[in-house]
Amino acid sequence: MGDEVKLAFDLLAFISVMVLIVLGLGIIASMMGIFNFAHGEFVLLGAYTVYLFESSGWSAWAGILAAPVVLAIVGLVLERLVIRRFYAAPIVAMLGTYAIGLMIRETIRALLGGQYKSINEPLSGAFTVFGLNFSVWRTVIVLTTILVIAGTWLFLSRTSTGLQVRGALENPNLARACGISTGKLYAATFAFGAALAGLAGALIVPLYQLSADIGTRFLVQAFLSVMLGGVGTFEGPVLGAAAVGGMAAGLPWIVIPVLADPLVFVIALAIVKFRPQGFITQGRI
Amino acid sequence: MTDKRFRDDLSRQGLGRRRLMGAGALGAAGWIAGGGGWLLAPKGAYAADAIKMGIATDITGAIAPSGNADWQVAQFTVEQINKGGGVLGRPIELYLEDTASDPKIAVGNVRKLIQERKVDVVLGGITSAMRQAIKDPIVNRGRTLYIYPQLYEGQECTKHLYCTGPTPAQQCDKLIPYLIKTVGKKRFAMPSANYVWPQLLNKYARKVIEANGGEVVFEEYYPLDQAEYSATIGKIRDGKVDCVFNTVIPPGLQPFFKQLYESGFQKRGGALACVYFDENLLNYLPAEEMDGLYSCLDYFQSVADPFSKQLQADYAKRFPDTKYLFTAGSAATGMYRGIKLYEVAVKATNGDLKREVVSAAYDKAKIDQGPGGGAEMVPAHMHCKMNMYIAQCKVDAGKPRYDIIGKSDMVDPKEC
Repeated sequence: MGDEVKLAFDLLAFISVMVLIVLGLGIIASMMGIFNFAHGEFVLLGAYTVYLFESSGWSAWAGILAAPVVLAIVGLVLERLVIRRFYAAPIVAMLGTYAIGLMIRETIRALLGGQYKSINEPLSGAFTVFGLNFSVWRTVIVLTTILVIAGTWLFLSRTSTGLQVRGALENPNLARACGISTGKLYAATFAFGAALAGLAGALIVPLYQLSADIGTRFLVQAFLSVMLGGVGTFEGPVLGAAAVGGMAAGLPWIVIPVLADPLVFVIALAIVKFRPQGFITQGRI
Repeated sequence: MTDKRFRDDLSRQGLGRRRLMGAGALGAAGWIAGGGGWLLAPKGAYAADAIKMGIATDITGAIAPSGNADWQVAQFTVEQINKGGGVLGRPIELYLEDTASDPKIAVGNVRKLIQERKVDVVLGGITSAMRQAIKDPIVNRGRTLYIYPQLYEGQECTKHLYCTGPTPAQQCDKLIPYLIKTVGKKRFAMPSANYVWPQLLNKYARKVIEANGGEVVFEEYYPLDQAEYSATIGKIRDGKVDCVFNTVIPPGLQPFFKQLYESGFQKRGGALACVYFDENLLNYLPAEEMDGLYSCLDYFQSVADPFSKQLQADYAKRFPDTKYLFTAGSAATGMYRGIKLYEVAVKATNGDLKREVVSAAYDKAKIDQGPGGGAEMVPAHMHCKMNMYIAQCKVDAGKPRYDIIGKSDMVDPKEC
């Protein structure tokens, strides 16, 4: 029994990591129709912010709080300067954001001197419940993910700004005719998506190691999650990330580990084949 | 060389050169115009022509930290030899080419050492992929002696290619019986990165484990950047594993060690062994995750014999505050050994530098002193006997260190 609980917790923790990373990507893809290939580098920038704070003597907590703010600003600037020119051409947007990501990644690689850096968890160790050990930091990640999902969902479904965002997504022309500035909304949405990526990077970096490729490792799986869950909804990518994360962590139980990663793709693509719209096609918030 | 030519070369090779300059370890060497590369010319006057020694190592790229440590140790060792009057009165000139952690780039650069610099011997290469890529241009087409300094998976038996780092036999033959007989562990897990070194090391380690009455519960290979190990942790728990023999390497290493530690494996009395762990790894992972880890290498900085201590002190004086340490894991000790054995070999040939002649002498070469002790080539086996140390990582007030818990004299490499 204890082992099953522990396994469930480990799965939940990794799913939370995936969901955190996918959330920002999904929101930008769903609300703006842009597949942001620089998303992995936004995650990297969030992680790098924590590293900068820690190495200049501040606490890692300050870095974790600062990361979403820094990324919101980065996102806002990028949207105003570059991304807004891409709305009419989604394919060009992919290439454009890929180029941005490449620049960020290689700049950080140079700044890190190509090295891997360790960042300790602000809360390390484990706590014990019913004789079972649970990692404190993974628990923090699970709880934060739940809070972020709930907060984002409430924001999009219960506030008037959220209504405007959804309106701009459904029918940009009509939204503009109603006096909604879609330009501003898109900028804000992109900044919000970037901020989520920053938060994800800041939270996960103590589990892994800071290197220029920390975001790329998750990027392809994140895209798979969005595809699996369905573009155009909020819940879709979250469910997709849960499915992909659960498979990535669970499959090594059944097959040899080097086969697990490809198998995640095979299964996900098979699902997409039969449900091209993704898990969620109806009931958009 | 005129200033004009130098400037022309600068502009032609500017980018690569500037990147090299950033590497820092190159400070003392001068850049050779016309073809690139670096030269550390001996100072002072010598009776005869210089011996040309080529170093091909990874100054840039993913494993640059190890490559720079190798280059610094090469400079350090050669400077010591030259200060002592050189080899039979002849100084050693060092030529460096960057292998850039990339076999494709390396082959071209190594060819420069052979064809343009006409070096008498090449030392270097860290990964097995690199050794495989550069051994042919050096040994076969280049007809030059090649010395490979890194600990590795064994089975390299090319003629005129000598290996001066530890082999699986040297790393396992003492450590594994110690884990089974003294520490009392029986059930082993072998989580591994999916490439040739873990595969061949595990193959050997499994034999030693089974010969000593232990059992391998599972042997598994992961993609190098795997981020999630809960299935592995589960198998360790379910299989009642009491010793993890790890060959997972960065970047997969950190998430694996963290999850293993969080699962309480060490708290339950489990032992963790990892034979590539040297001083470079000490600041790489949180101290508590490494507490109690067993490693087995040809040298640790806590080895207390006077010669090793003096060597470390001199190295620290030569490269103050360097981040590139003189350690066993990054091939630096093998580099020292390789150069000193070459010195002995050249003395034995009375200064004849012809490959076949030096190679025959190298095959029987022996040095009495070095980091961790002397070394002795096993004739016709291309590898050398050396002292091996079992060490355990201990943490004091958050600071990790290695305590030597066992020494074996002149362990046989059992290769070729």
